Amino acid sequence: MVQNRVAARRSDADRSSIRARRCTLDATQESGPSVRATQFAMGTIMSYTVFGPAARASLAAACGEIERLDSLLSRFSADSEIARINRGAGREPVPIGPQTHAVLLEASAFSRRCPDCFAVTVGPLVDLWNIGVKSLHRPDQSKIEQARGLVNDGDLILDPLKPSAGLRRAGQSVDLGAIGKGFAGDRIREVFHRCGIRAAYANLGGNVVAVGSRPDGLPWRIGIQHPRDTDRLIGCVSVVDRSAVTSGDYQRYVTDSRGNRHHHILDPSTGYPADSGLISVTVVSPGAMVADALATALFVAGIERGLELLEHYPGTDAVFVHSDLRVSITAGLKHRFQAGQNTEFTIMD
Amino acid sequence: MNGWLIALIIVAVLGAGGGIGWSYIAREHREARSLPLDAVDFSKLEDGTFHGVYEGGIYKWRTNECEVTVQNGKVTDIRLASSKDPGGENADFRMLYDRVITAQSLQVDTITGATLTSKAYLQAVENALVESKRE
Repeated sequence: MVQNRVAARRSDADRSSIRARRCTLDATQESGPSVRATQFAMGTIMSYTVFGPAARASLAAACGEIERLDSLLSRFSADSEIARINRGAGREPVPIGPQTHAVLLEASAFSRRCPDCFAVTVGPLVDLWNIGVKSLHRPDQSKIEQARGLVNDGDLILDPLKPSAGLRRAGQSVDLGAIGKGFAGDRIREVFHRCGIRAAYANLGGNVVAVGSRPDGLPWRIGIQHPRDTDRLIGCVSVVDRSAVTSGDYQRYVTDSRGNRHHHILDPSTGYPADSGLISVTVVSPGAMVADALATALFVAGIERGLELLEHYPGTDAVFVHSDLRVSITAGLKHRFQAGQNTEFTIMD
Repeated sequence: MNGWLIALIIVAVLGAGGGIGWSYIAREHREARSLPLDAVDFSKLEDGTFHGVYEGGIYKWRTNECEVTVQNGKVTDIRLASSKDPGGENADFRMLYDRVITAQSLQVDTITGATLTSKAYLQAVENALVESKRE
């Protein structure tokens, strides 16, 4: 096994916009025909497995791209563009780069299509529930109402010409938790394509980006975590050139004295964790950002409204896990889904 | 006296017959025990319908033929095409086939929805430790 540090390759333009920051983990491994890398970024672990002669170079570029996006999009880095937008809420819009503008534009489009189940200005609620910072805690209802009043994607002002972004009211804030890793996933796919990679997959904290097919020509097999048993899969999907993203109530949650589970996926219309009867939603789509945003939106929307929403995204399918562990899959996955042991599933036409 | 002799002959005949019979049964058991059932890599199945024959038993009296259907890399159906097994009428082969279908392992390349799987975590820690030795 050969170990080697991944040196992030950046263009001069990129260098000017970021603070030099190394990944916490940045090592590559060679195992047979593939090369693997792991890094810590965006608050989670990113891992990559790449096949082909350009594997090493592509991994260096991928790790560099993730590092760069993390520095732009993390609201927890004081000098990120998102943090600057949030600090300037209620004042003048702040200049941003084209990529931050692109992800905010896409996020706005999602919230317009599903205003009750997706909001990029969900920051005040995320802060209130302490998601991503400490363990989840249940806030007072009055505070939830107050924070909910600040959530409104219509208050996000985007100027594509400068480009710039701002928030109309003080106290508002942008949070890309439901779309940022997806956006990064699409950039990783671009990096691999640019490097001529035909077989690779990236796992960005549970968001999977599969590039091409396996070197033996078979589809990649992506397992779907069982929402109630960490040692099991509820099933797996076979994919070629697809992304798969799962939103589940099991990823970060606390249980109160009554035994109720409070998870991290908030319903922007109520200010509380979503309670749609679903405990996990996996979206399989050609685009990682679509998969990421939709996984959250469908989880919040529930199965009926979720299916209506899916109709707007051709080539995109979903695996729904109900609270009684029944599994429903959309028709496009009919021949690509394999259920785990003791799991029953129905195909929705 | 004759009675004892006849009884002894009967016991001897039965013993010899039992011994011969047991040796046949033992051969059957040995054959069954040594059947290699681990030659299939369930992660690398090609799609199609495949015909399989096993000519089992010392007089091939357990010969059976089946058809296995593979769709999208997984076994979706197994049908018994024919069987010479004298106990085949009572054999619950359907249950056995169902177990093969459900027990085929979900071998996957990676997992979605596992934000911090223990493996990924340990792998990252291992990488960090190896990397730290290089500095």
